[in-house]
Parts: sequence; structure tokens; C-alpha cells
Amino acid sequence: MNELEYLRQMRSLNRPTAPRRDLWAGIEARLDETSAVATPRHRRAQPWLMAAAIAAVAVLSGGIGLHLAPGGSDAVPEARTAWKPADPRLTGAAVELDAAHMELTQAMKDSPQSAALQRLLQKTERQRDRLRNIDKQAG
Amino acid sequence: MNALCLAATSFMQPELPAATSDDETVRAAMAGDRKAFEILYRRHADRVYGAILRLAAFDHARAEDLTQEAFIRAWQKLESFRFESAFGTWVYRLAVNVALMSIRARNADPVSIVDDEHLPDITDPDHPLRSLERDELEKAIAGLPPRARAVLVLHDVEGWKHEEIAVELDMAVGSSKAQLHRARGLLRRVLGERP
Repeated sequence: MNELEYLRQMRSLNRPTAPRRDLWAGIEARLDETSAVATPRHRRAQPWLMAAAIAAVAVLSGGIGLHLAPGGSDAVPEARTAWKPADPRLTGAAVELDAAHMELTQAMKDSPQSAALQRLLQKTERQRDRLRNIDKQAG
Repeated sequence: MNALCLAATSFMQPELPAATSDDETVRAAMAGDRKAFEILYRRHADRVYGAILRLAAFDHARAEDLTQEAFIRAWQKLESFRFESAFGTWVYRLAVNVALMSIRARNADPVSIVDDEHLPDITDPDHPLRSLERDELEKAIAGLPPRARAVLVLHDVEGWKHEEIAVELDMAVGSSKAQLHRARGLLRRVLGERP
């Protein structure tokens, strides 16, 4: 048998095949167990994913604040900031990074093995260190 | 099955109106209509089952379990269906993925340590494959190691490209080609050993 004949025979196996028994009853029973398409089970987003998204936005906006803050960040509530920079222009970024850190730490309690969360947490800590250095340099 | 059973069966199964497209039925199923999902199941079960059966070494019991699993996953993932392909194509790919995951989960493939060079080429003129009965060919394929069988079935039977197989099986394109070569060689060897 040449290769063409081989392939023809192989392709002939590609045909719909009816299951020997009706599988629907078993499927339907498990739909009950696993809940339907549009139930809250599917709407329930992963909590850590939501926290990560919030944290990412917070870090991003913190970074933007770091560059753009004109010194008008006095309105930021001090109680939310774990570390208060000497330079008031950095306060906004510090608050955002603290919030991101807090969210991520909370999320890590729910999903301690999440590599994505760990990376985000490490990134947030590095950004906070950078902010501290900038604050020191600013004197 | 007697006439009463037949009548009961046809009464229990939803009608499959030809005029209702898959898209409409999918939308109804997405809204939670299980009868609509049953219609989709009945339209596509045979194609899905056929593909899974081939990947599952023609083991009907296992293919039945995997087919059920595939449709349950389809129900769970229905929200992610974007109507960018036909529903039949979507559920078929999902079902193949379920079957491949099962192969990966079993994690046993002794063929992966066989040296390619020791396997004969299927196009070897000294060892021509004779024309085969379908059952004989199915049995030979069923005897292949799982991963080699998966590549052979996807490429030679289902008509997939190596690039697609590589993605689904999480391997390099070159590995897919090597597995196919290996699988064809093993198949020829298995068939050659038969009287």
C-alpha cells in the first residue's frame, strides 16, 4: 500500500459514530450537579483575580501619580498610608502602593500558591522601595 | 427495543427542527435552556463521540465517559462561545481537548523513549502495508502508545496540521512530526506482525 492509499484508509476512519447508549441522561444529571451556564457559580469571579486587577490599576495610577503629582496630594487621608514620604508630592503614589499591597496580601491569604499574585506583590514591593529611595534623594 | 420503548424514547427526546440554526439553539442554551442544549448534544454527539473514540483507542466505555465530560464542559464554558466558529467545530475541539487531557493525565507513553532511527519508514517499499479492513486498522491504532496514537489520529485521520497538534499537545512542531513518523512506523510494524 502506498502512502496515498494509506492516507485514504486512515481518512475513512473519520466518520461520526453513535454512542452505544444514550449519554444524555448522564450528562443532564451532571448539569444539575455542576450548575447551569448563567448561574452565580460562573459569575463568581476569582477573588484574587479581582484583587490583582485592582492592584494593577492601583500600581499603575501610583506610578502615574509619581510622575505627575504637582504637590497637591494633601487631600489624601494620612491614616491609609503605612509609610508617609517626607516629600508631599510622593504621598499619592505611596497611598496607592500601600492599597495595592494590602489588596494583594489579602488575596494571597485566599490563594497562597498563586504565582501571579506573588509576582504582583514583589513588583509592588519593588516599586515601594523605589519610592522610598526617591523620597530619600529628594531629602 | 419494543414499540412502547421506541415511542417513549421518541417522546422523551426533543425535536430537532431543521429550520433552527445552531446559533439560535446555542443562544437559548446560553440562557439556561437545557432542552436547547440537549438538541445541540443530539446534533453533534456522533461527531464528538467518533473523534473521542479514535483517541481513546476505540474503548467505548472510556469514550462514553469522555463524551459526557466534553458536553458537561461545553455547558460550563458556553458563555465563552463567541460565534466566531460553528458550534460543531467549537464543541469538537473542546472534546478533542478533553480526550487529550485524559491522555496526558494517564502520563504513560513508553514510545517516547524509543529511538526513531530504529523504526522503519512507512514508505519502505520492502514492507508495504496491505489493504486493510477497518476493524484491523482500528485495532492496530488502538495498540499504539497514547501520545503516538493521538498524533497519528489527529494528523492522519482527523486531518489536523502539525502546528495545531503541537498546540493541543503542548509540544514543538518538530516533536509532532517525529511522533507521527514514530507512530506510522509502529503501526506498520504492528500490522506487519499480523498473519
